[in-house]
Amino acid sequence: MVAASSPVRVAACDCLTPFGDARATVAALLRGERALRPVPVRGVEGGDAVPLALLPGRALDETAPPAWLAPLRQLLAPVIAEGWGTARRPVCIASSNFGVGSIYAFRRGHGDAHRATGTPHDCVAWLRREFGWGENVATFSHACVTAHLALLHGARLVQAGGAEAALVFAFDFLSPFVAGGFHALKILNAEFPAPYQARATGAIGLGDGAAYAVLARGVGDFALAAHAVHNEMHHFTANQADGAGFDRVLAALPADGRRLWLKGHGTGTLDAGRLESAALARRFPGAPLVGWKGALGHTLGSCGLVELALALAAVRAGRTPGTVGAASPTFTPEVALAAFDNAAFDGVLCASNAFGGAHAALLLAHA
Amino acid sequence: MLERYLESLRTDDPGAEAPAATRERLKPRFAPGAARRMTLLGMMVGASLHELLGPADDSIVYSSSFGEGTALEGFLESFPTPSPTLFQTSIHPSAAQQALIGRQRALPELLPLAGGPELVAQAALAALLAPAERVLWCGGEERGTWLREAGLASDRSFAFALALTRARPAAPLARLALEISDQPGALALPAWFDLLHARRAWSGAAGGGWHLRLEWL
Amino acid sequence: MPDPLHAHLKQLIVTTLRLEDLTPDQIKDEDPLIGSGLALDSIDALELVVTLEKEYGIKIASSEESREALATVASLARFIRARADPARLPA
Repeated sequence: MVAASSPVRVAACDCLTPFGDARATVAALLRGERALRPVPVRGVEGGDAVPLALLPGRALDETAPPAWLAPLRQLLAPVIAEGWGTARRPVCIASSNFGVGSIYAFRRGHGDAHRATGTPHDCVAWLRREFGWGENVATFSHACVTAHLALLHGARLVQAGGAEAALVFAFDFLSPFVAGGFHALKILNAEFPAPYQARATGAIGLGDGAAYAVLARGVGDFALAAHAVHNEMHHFTANQADGAGFDRVLAALPADGRRLWLKGHGTGTLDAGRLESAALARRFPGAPLVGWKGALGHTLGSCGLVELALALAAVRAGRTPGTVGAASPTFTPEVALAAFDNAAFDGVLCASNAFGGAHAALLLAHA
Repeated sequence: MLERYLESLRTDDPGAEAPAATRERLKPRFAPGAARRMTLLGMMVGASLHELLGPADDSIVYSSSFGEGTALEGFLESFPTPSPTLFQTSIHPSAAQQALIGRQRALPELLPLAGGPELVAQAALAALLAPAERVLWCGGEERGTWLREAGLASDRSFAFALALTRARPAAPLARLALEISDQPGALALPAWFDLLHARRAWSGAAGGGWHLRLEWL
Repeated sequence: MPDPLHAHLKQLIVTTLRLEDLTPDQIKDEDPLIGSGLALDSIDALELVVTLEKEYGIKIASSEESREALATVASLARFIRARADPARLPA
């Protein structure tokens, strides 16, 4: 496991979900709303209905150019024109999809124009041109821990890499490619996700999501106080049965007596949910655990930053949304089904987990 | 300036070797039955990386622009009944995971990067900034078929793995350094591989405002 | 007389999963398919599910259901017999 104490602060941060920005999304979560709807898994070609949360007006099938450019431009508007993409102001991009919806559309005969944004590098190069960014862009891709890795690298660039500030930008937009893949794994099915609920069938939902954070020294009232990562490399889709991987990443975080609430990964699958919640309860007994993928779906590579933005918005609002979509019984008593006031807490632990037994966690605390 | 020593290196350049022949050549390097689900990129990266695996607290940086081209092709072809195996295998950083899961080798930090002309500079930067004393930087590409014809997969197969240390080892092969520069230019992943494979020195703009120097000792 | 469905399932397992060093008759009806001497795992099971759904026109709804159905060749055959159109089963 690797842990790094980090004095880097969050100078700016926001996200985009089907509910809107971070503030609007937290408000929707506090009302107990779900953005997930049944959508045919292969889009226009049909297939089983599965729970997906798409941006308003966006179809599952990709357009050329992708229709999510305009919402991204709107999300980034407060920071877009600050001279990003140089060694002093680098960009760290996180995604697990990039333009894979474009490759799918190209393969299904929807036109050659889709080729322009199909590969990760072509997709990023297109976004760079659209946003006027320079070439200093690090592109990370490691499934559901991608955003954490981009945040970790961004923090290192500020601490020791000569950067005065780093823009970390994460985005994932759904397509039949990724919906079909998770449906083939039988975890995206007819059921809606209920994170950390002890029930007979596990199920996930998937969601569109994007977020950014500007990391800098001395600017912002919240800090990324610690990062931890660990990779089990036990199996592509299963964790070590004893939960040791979850324990190892959490053990790397400082045990400094902070009173934390916990934002878990909680996709809605049973084995991982059971192991994750148990490990969190062992490491942080009594700390309330929430997960929001039951409302927003899993936003894949971007989830670590989308949910960090939501956690930050929840702290600013003074109230943490509960685990929307879940009901009793839960795997541990620490799972918070209902919203709660968070002013008395010292910080938030945000955790994500990925295929291959990858684990990542960070500590968000007042600077 | 950021700097590390190159302690050891493995490269694999199949050249004109047919993919089936490359698989047969590399198959004995893996456990019986393991190769059936491995991609060519996974086998090449794995064979190179396995020889350099050392202490359990090494970090790994993985770099590939196109990733698992043939798994991606196969997954796309499998619709409307998509293959879960090919979906799983097509996800970045599958090649590194195939190699490490095959050895049940846990590790603290894996930083998988994708990218275009700036990939080498960014992967070098990630390796040089990592806190671990020893960092393994691996990567490569596998030649695609119909996706290659569409410009969406690599036109060449190759793989490399190198071990970088902070402290000077007893017999260092080379020194790798990065510093901020305003020179234009970039060093693409295939060209980086060729430098390593031929043990050729280099000093120039690597992309994104970074100057890279590779000096063989 | 071997059960023709069992025999067909064993052939499908070997072919779908590209098991080079195994013949169908080496797979026993009651041996666990996953996590046993066959060295198959959950991804193999899901790949088999895709083939079985196409071959027999059945539907397996979740990963939990697939785990239960694919416990052994015998349990898989029972699962298929309970759900498939008999006309699609081997004679």
